[in-house]
Amino acid sequence: MKKLTRDEKIAYKMTLPFVILILILVVLLLVSNVINSFKDPIDRSFTFQNYINCFTDPVVGRAMWNTVIWVLGSVLGQLSLGLFVALLLNQSTKGQVVFRSLILILPWATLDIVAGVMWKWMYNDMYGVLNDILVKMHLINNYIPWLATENMAMLAVIIANIWKGFSLSGMFFLAGLQTIPTQLYEAAEIDGAGVFARFWKITIPLLKPVIKTTLMLTTIWTINYFPLIYIMTGGGPGYGTETLVTYIYKLGFKFLDFNKSAALSNILFVIIFLIANAFLKNISKEEAI
Amino acid sequence: MKRTQRKKLQRTITYILLVFLSIIITFPFLWLVLTAFKTYPDIYSYPLKYFNFSPTLEHFKKIAEMNFWKYFKNSIIVGTGTMIFSILLGILPAYAFARYNFRGKGLLLSSVLLFQMFPMVIFLVPIFKLLKNIGLLNTYMGLVFSYLPFTTPISIMFMRTFFIKIPKALEEAAKIDGCNFWQAFTKIILPVTLPGIASVGIYAFLFSWSELLYSMSFLTSKAKQTIPTFLSLFVGQYQTRWGPLFAGSVLATLPPLIVFMFFQKFFISGLVSGSVKE
Repeated sequence: MKKLTRDEKIAYKMTLPFVILILILVVLLLVSNVINSFKDPIDRSFTFQNYINCFTDPVVGRAMWNTVIWVLGSVLGQLSLGLFVALLLNQSTKGQVVFRSLILILPWATLDIVAGVMWKWMYNDMYGVLNDILVKMHLINNYIPWLATENMAMLAVIIANIWKGFSLSGMFFLAGLQTIPTQLYEAAEIDGAGVFARFWKITIPLLKPVIKTTLMLTTIWTINYFPLIYIMTGGGPGYGTETLVTYIYKLGFKFLDFNKSAALSNILFVIIFLIANAFLKNISKEEAI
Repeated sequence: MKRTQRKKLQRTITYILLVFLSIIITFPFLWLVLTAFKTYPDIYSYPLKYFNFSPTLEHFKKIAEMNFWKYFKNSIIVGTGTMIFSILLGILPAYAFARYNFRGKGLLLSSVLLFQMFPMVIFLVPIFKLLKNIGLLNTYMGLVFSYLPFTTPISIMFMRTFFIKIPKALEEAAKIDGCNFWQAFTKIILPVTLPGIASVGIYAFLFSWSELLYSMSFLTSKAKQTIPTFLSLFVGQYQTRWGPLFAGSVLATLPPLIVFMFFQKFFISGLVSGSVKE
């Protein structure tokens, strides 16, 4: 191995303490989870039972399916709304700061719990403002019991999550758009390309790296995002909005089954790891070309 | 249609859509604020009252009686701690990642970000046990400690982007003038990056300001709890006390909102170059 240069020595001195600390902590916490997941809740002996319980528990299956819907709906909604807002903001010259504050910053700065209770109240079947407005606009005839049936509750939490989370994609896309040189658009316009042609032929291809990273981050964050569902429905009605994270929380802190909770945590971690890995491989493969 | 005309039309449509979106996006929050100023008969009135009600401060008085400002103070303590330690822990790694090229840089950088992959709930029980073992359960220090693995990586990525922007020549000039590393760092680099560092601090502060799961699990005594826990007390399984809940929500959201708007330029640039250009 080559001798370390002076710069390298300084750099290692600055970075390694923190990196090692983080790694020790991760390993410590993960190992603690792994040990717990193989412990019998009663006599503390070694067992696979917690994992078997996870795979035979119908709620776990339901929670996995719910997580898929929750992630698909939220991510698609957040990315498309984020892109739309970013395109509009990028076009605007005057008042961008004001619009940015109202559209992007406001939902982002709202506390998780505040966003949760705010939407819960808007979804109230009797006094909720959402039903009132929809009826007044003649979009629906009867009040919808938003949080009372399983499917509507899932739709409701996804809408709330799109509101809470789209601004992050919006900011990523906005910054991505600002790196695209305007001459490209002008040249295309002179060649007679319309708005949509310019969007599909210039914006999307040039934005593709940003879109991929955003997709990855949003997917992982949405799988992990817990407070909104916890506040709005608590996973109900029934298990209609129970996702893996809310169920892990319930297992550990409501049913006090720490070992099964740890087992499910590990399963979830493996899933997230595989997803992140697939994304990263795809992203680095593209960059290599 | 002429090109200038088309441009004008396009601009008009853009602004119409922007105004329309602003209304839709801000409406939920506006509704929250309006509800916070309604008496209970007005909150539960049918048909709904939009603007035709006489505002009241009763809910704000109610939460003040319930020690809201004490929870507010607790939140500020935890937030300040998280902010200071995220910056202190992150600043040197961030500088090194920005300034030097070294073997294994990419690997180290990605291992810093490892914690971003984990849902916080996975570590709830292990961190609970860890804090209990080292006697930090139900202390502000313990809660701050539990936040740092999640906030510091972001603060490293943010600060790194701000350090990258400083020309190396600036530092070298200082060294030629006889400054040592620390003098150059504190006198030349820190002042230039201060807005960026401030925005990182605010990010960490708001992370802890908003965080519910860990704060309600690790701060077990009532006297120490933070705003999100306080607010969650009003949410019942069968009945929710909307009035005080919303009054507290308004007071809890306004400070971060104002600060965020003020610093948005730095957030957006830091956020983006930190996560997108990697």
